[in-house]
Amino acid sequence: MKFLKTFLNSPVGPKTTHFWGPIANWGFVIAALADTRKPPDMLSGNMTAVMCLYSASGMRFAWMVQPRNHLLLACHATNETVQLFQFSRWAKHEGCPRQLWPLMG
Amino acid sequence: MATSKLQALWNHPAGPKTIHFWAPTFKWGISIANIADFAKPPEKLSYPQQIAVTATGIIWSRYSTVITPKNWNLFSVNVAMAGTGLYQLSRKIRHDYFNEEETASIKE
Repeated sequence: MKFLKTFLNSPVGPKTTHFWGPIANWGFVIAALADTRKPPDMLSGNMTAVMCLYSASGMRFAWMVQPRNHLLLACHATNETVQLFQFSRWAKHEGCPRQLWPLMG
Repeated sequence: MATSKLQALWNHPAGPKTIHFWAPTFKWGISIANIADFAKPPEKLSYPQQIAVTATGIIWSRYSTVITPKNWNLFSVNVAMAGTGLYQLSRKIRHDYFNEEETASIKE
């Protein structure tokens, strides 16, 4: 009961946007997890690559922002993982670009 | 005069020496990727993804005004995200629900 009260009244708790911002960001993660079941030709290489960069910088941001936001950090760490997976699926489907063929031997 | 203003920007708590600058800068990538995806046919758009983009954009526009340091770069990028997300959603919804009426009337 006490834990619940502390959580509810926390400066990063559900009465504040510091809670709901990160909750909204979990939407990306859930969307990505839903999209893992989609065939790779439906994936956007642009968006997935951008998401990888975004969540990498987001993890650092969550750590450095005032107040420090562990929920956001967890969200971005998870998103980074899923997006990297999706990117690998997309890249595998795309195959090796022509320009790199000489390197492939 | 101009140099001191530039210096002020360079040394700003949400300036280019800090993650408070680079995180939103990378976030612009999401809006840019979404704009590039305006060219994609609506069947290939993802409802979950676009809803996530729109909802995040709206909520974070508020979040960016209450964190320390206050971050207008982050504010503007989230407004843009909400905008592109809403547009993509409208494209897909129009395709899924209003084109059906057209094809249905043609069939008749």
